Amino acid sequence: MLGQGFVSAAAIAASVLFILSLGGLSNQEKAKRAVWYGIVGMAVAVFFTSLGPGIGGYWWLVPAMLIGAGIGAYVAGKVEMTEMPQLVAALHSFVGLAAVFVAWSADLERRRVLAAQAADGAMQEFSAFAALVATKAPAELTFLQIEVVFAIFIGAVTFTGSVIAFGKLAGKVDGKPRQLPGGHMLNAGAAALSLLLAILYLNGAGFWTLIVLAALSFFIGYHLIMGIGGADMPVVVSMLNSYSGWAAAAIGFTLSNDLLIVTGALVGSSGAILSYIMCKAMNRNFVNVILGGFGGAQGPAAEIEGEQVAIDASGVASALNDADSVIIVPGYGMAVAQAQSAVSDLVRKLRASGKTVRFGIHPVAGRLPGHMNVLLAEAKVPYDIVLEMDEINDDFSSTDVVIVIGSNDIVNPAAEEDPNSPIAGMPVLKVWEAKQVFVSKRGQGTGYSGIENPLFFKENTRMFYGDARDSLNALLPMVE
Amino acid sequence: MKIGAPKETAQGEARVALTPESAKQLQKLGHECLVEAGAGAAAGFNDDTYRDAGVSVVESAEALWRDADVVIKVREPSETEAHYLREGLTLIAFFWPAQNEALLETCKAQGASVIAMDMVPRISRAQKMDALSSMANIAGYRAVIEAGNNFGRFFTGQVTAAGKVPPAKVLVIGAGVAGLSAIGTAASLGAVVRAFDVRPEVSEQIESMGAEFLFLDFEDSQDGSESGGYASPSSPEFREKQLECFREQAPDVDIVITTALIPGRPAPKLWLEDMVAAMKPGSVIVDLAAEKGGNCDLTKPDERVVSDNGVVVVGYTDFPSRMATQASLLYATNIRHMLADLTPEKDGVIHHNMEDDVIRGATVTHQGEITFPPPPPKVKAIAAAKPKKKEKEPTPEEKKATELAAFKAQTKRQAGLLAVGGALMLLLGQIAPASFMQHFIVFVLACFIGFQVIWKVSHSLHTPLMAVTNAISGIIILGAILQIGSGSGVVIVLAAISVLIASINIVGGFLVTRRMLAMFQKS
Repeated sequence: MLGQGFVSAAAIAASVLFILSLGGLSNQEKAKRAVWYGIVGMAVAVFFTSLGPGIGGYWWLVPAMLIGAGIGAYVAGKVEMTEMPQLVAALHSFVGLAAVFVAWSADLERRRVLAAQAADGAMQEFSAFAALVATKAPAELTFLQIEVVFAIFIGAVTFTGSVIAFGKLAGKVDGKPRQLPGGHMLNAGAAALSLLLAILYLNGAGFWTLIVLAALSFFIGYHLIMGIGGADMPVVVSMLNSYSGWAAAAIGFTLSNDLLIVTGALVGSSGAILSYIMCKAMNRNFVNVILGGFGGAQGPAAEIEGEQVAIDASGVASALNDADSVIIVPGYGMAVAQAQSAVSDLVRKLRASGKTVRFGIHPVAGRLPGHMNVLLAEAKVPYDIVLEMDEINDDFSSTDVVIVIGSNDIVNPAAEEDPNSPIAGMPVLKVWEAKQVFVSKRGQGTGYSGIENPLFFKENTRMFYGDARDSLNALLPMVE
Repeated sequence: MKIGAPKETAQGEARVALTPESAKQLQKLGHECLVEAGAGAAAGFNDDTYRDAGVSVVESAEALWRDADVVIKVREPSETEAHYLREGLTLIAFFWPAQNEALLETCKAQGASVIAMDMVPRISRAQKMDALSSMANIAGYRAVIEAGNNFGRFFTGQVTAAGKVPPAKVLVIGAGVAGLSAIGTAASLGAVVRAFDVRPEVSEQIESMGAEFLFLDFEDSQDGSESGGYASPSSPEFREKQLECFREQAPDVDIVITTALIPGRPAPKLWLEDMVAAMKPGSVIVDLAAEKGGNCDLTKPDERVVSDNGVVVVGYTDFPSRMATQASLLYATNIRHMLADLTPEKDGVIHHNMEDDVIRGATVTHQGEITFPPPPPKVKAIAAAKPKKKEKEPTPEEKKATELAAFKAQTKRQAGLLAVGGALMLLLGQIAPASFMQHFIVFVLACFIGFQVIWKVSHSLHTPLMAVTNAISGIIILGAILQIGSGSGVVIVLAAISVLIASINIVGGFLVTRRMLAMFQKS
């Protein structure tokens, strides 16, 4: 058994390592080291806490940890990179559920300790957390109850929200925004009821209040995320990430554990910033995204004239052979079609023949922040030719050929040209300024936001219909 | 109807109004075509090719004028030709009615209908008959070619083993059709092209052709759309400013092509003697306005003059005629389109519809009446230009002021936030126990560090960031560990499940992050 001093020292070390780990993600090379900081930090935290004073139940602890680690390792090894968004969402749900369980346990322990104290007044031997509770003054216990309420509420919302987000990203739940009749009033009602239960609980009502509270929060999480469309999933995932952090921090308060508080706060603020960045990239209000649906347009969207002109692989190939500079703009469609390695082959071929090939990545391309970067990295596309929107947006006008693969809204000129468009004002990649644009797309349908894209009707745009991977594979042999 | 093209009588005129190709098209409209023997020879069409196209070759001009119902020509009729005119005959040619009033009277007296190709209104429907634009296009191209012919260097810049060649600098004044054509030609030869026009709305067109627009910052710039797309005379102040700009350019440019014309007026003098004197020897000026007196002081119509300092001033007035084949092909097509509009039924019968905006506009005499000038067209030529927003460069003081204001606003906001935050903390401190406040300090500081650290994370690493933070949020396992030794069965089970799922989260999150990061590679 290690003393409390060891545990505290370990907590400080782990906190520092976590901060280094997050800070190290500022570039690709440092990031490889950064993840080790995180791993070591976690190992230190878990190891020393487990061996700390008053910890027991190793017969439960060690097998649970080993089984969990085994499952985690298996899943992490098996998952396809295109399934990354689902995986992250699924993992968030675990944190949320764990937070609910831990908070419940905390209240059960509190009740047990209070009951024991009332029964004989004498101090009996308690384990780590219970021993801590036993020393608390009544005011501190009230705060502990408030913290428990917070932890349960946030944890439960995170849990069901993440499960729904997982379902939507994995295609198991319909991606369209869907709400029960009553819409946000239902959410508001559930929240009000939760508040009522919390007050009851604080005034001494039984454990059932916490169970009902969790159930209500489960409903809010479910209903909230069901009402958000698939296109907004990047924001949702990072928001849930943030929530899972806040849940951990709330648990940290409950258990008076600074390491939990620090780590939870780090995760919470990082998710919040990511959500903010995503919203800014879509020119949307965070509240608007979370409450679902686009803001009302001020008038009818501009009519689009002209027609979509199709082209076949040989046409695209000859344009590529003549081009000096090429920019590829991937979107969610590339992930769906698993076309990233075909894209990579194309890039390798084009670069081998001395052409400048770059990627333009919109901040909300895909279903997860940075989703496209990860897919391209998986296909061994060097990251120094993968550029962000701001880095590349001025270069389109001097580019010969732009290939848009499975993206739609992020290259929609209506965002700039049509003030009545639902996406008006959203920063977009100005692909239409290039000499020629090829759009690889499955059919004539609209994007996730369901609005028509005038890009497809522009004179310098040609539509390259078909599954992205099949199209690119057909194209490959024709490119010199 | 019989449509006849006589041989041009004006000296040096090589163009012809009918080509074998246009003749075939005219025949499809139900017309019969005649051509005077040798009419197309100078433009590269001999009589046999006309015959092959089904055109009857007529030996003399007199016979042609007698037989034809419609005579198509390039230039206005000469005195002799005017006397061939008779009632019922329609003449289609460049006529310049404003300058040729006497001729107009003669035509009226002879009772013929005259359609002036130079009077075709500038509306989109009539573009296919806009012979002025066709000719101007050729003139612009040819002006650059003539300039190149008189210029001793390359247009394009080159770095060769024998030394470096700077690109020629070309200044085009007036960005009408001819000017734009000259810009395009010079730019495609590799020259550095600048262009000026009094109508600021053409800057976009100039830039689209590959030239730099010399922008003149002046209050009342002209809106060319008011005058049918043509320039109008400018105020003396504007003119001064403009000349000043040219004076600045003169020592720098190698080739100047002037195309500035104002309809119905002599050409404005824009390139003065002192500017010619300031130019480098060997420079070339091509004055496309020579026929109207020239934009350059030194221009002599139809002559090539060399100034005292060795600057060549080309004042030819017959650029289209110098490219007779091309000019004839385009002009004949314009004429054919005009005739197509005159024969709406395609039955070979001319229907001179004076209700039609285009035909009415171009007709200068009809049924013994002079119908010039025409009433203004019903359709406005060009949509009024949208006023161009001029972004004013802020002065340093203004910039400083806005920066200061922004800084102040930011400070205010931050101070406000801090004050509100502080007040909240104070309130919380009043009711919360001390132990809570200690943890709360840690919490706030950690949030702060989080905010500071995450902003620096590279955009492309956002997915790994989420995976890492997700793994780290598995720290919740600590809570479960602290509870698992409890004496309560329920708590133990709950804690064990928590440990299990948190472990999945931790291990899965870290491993997946490692997998992702390992894939990132530099080229």
